[in-house]
Amino acid sequence: MHELGIMFHVVKKVEAIVRENGLAEVEAIVLQIGELSPVVPQYIVACYPAAVDGTILQNTRLEIETLPANARCGRCGKVYNLIERRKICPSCGSEEFELLCGREFNIKEIRAC
Amino acid sequence: MDSFKVLEIKESVFADNDREAERLREALRRKKVFLLNLMASPGAGKTTLLTRTIETLGNEMRIGVMEADIDSDVDAKTISKTGAKVIQLHTGGMCHLDAEMTKQGLEGLGTDDMDLVILENVGNLVCPAEFDTGASRNAMILSVPEGDDKPLKYPLMFSVSDVLIINKIDAAGIFDFDFEACAQRARKINPDIRIIPVSAKTGEGIGEWADWLRASVRQWRGE
Repeated sequence: MHELGIMFHVVKKVEAIVRENGLAEVEAIVLQIGELSPVVPQYIVACYPAAVDGTILQNTRLEIETLPANARCGRCGKVYNLIERRKICPSCGSEEFELLCGREFNIKEIRAC
Repeated sequence: MDSFKVLEIKESVFADNDREAERLREALRRKKVFLLNLMASPGAGKTTLLTRTIETLGNEMRIGVMEADIDSDVDAKTISKTGAKVIQLHTGGMCHLDAEMTKQGLEGLGTDDMDLVILENVGNLVCPAEFDTGASRNAMILSVPEGDDKPLKYPLMFSVSDVLIINKIDAAGIFDFDFEACAQRARKINPDIRIIPVSAKTGEGIGEWADWLRASVRQWRGE
């Protein structure tokens, strides 16, 4: 379990952005979490109120976008979802692949005024 | 809510940690201090290997140890008996160390009179692999009772480690650990990984491990 500690980082980062841009109020923050990322979206949602408690983000909405774990087959080049296909290419059956996306944990955007 | 504007950030939450880790690594290089990040699951033999390592190399280099744990100081107490300088870090529930915590630990330990600092990370094969601590090299231990399939289950840990120590080889007779299969699986993920079988209990293989560590420290210090 490391989601709370990681969310403290996110809060610090967003607070810095709010200061730098002279924003008055943050309505929402949008995170992107890859399917292979080391953070679990449900835990992020669960610990969010604790992470923002007493900060300028206290009444801010959290949105999460999931990014797929996509890979390109090392043999035939087909792009497929690693989790759905259990790391086996649906086209040629190869288990060799190059990961295209899915490990991200990004602050995508902040909606504020 | 027309007055709200959208600020595109598009930055990885881990980017800050990666930058901090790179700064720490450079600072250590300038100070000629080698930091080894030792990772393994609970019970793989991190503390026992550390004790052996200090016994073997303690009279030729100045060694400091940082023990990271969620709670307790049992490992720090064990290590302090070797005479090495040791500091206990409590992660307060966190399952890994990040670069900032490592930096604070190094400041607490004091690195002015150190050649080698070993960070015993939290016992866990998942999260510590995700967070660059700023270490000069990463080492991991896999012990024989855990099984030869672990590279398949925890590939990231094997991909970030420079050296794989296979511990408890003295118990190989009672487990069906396939060393060749394990090595093949590890090298498929990380072709450059150095694999060293040891028994921290009997001392077998410790010479090879100490040689690797000694050479790595010298190279880092530009000797």
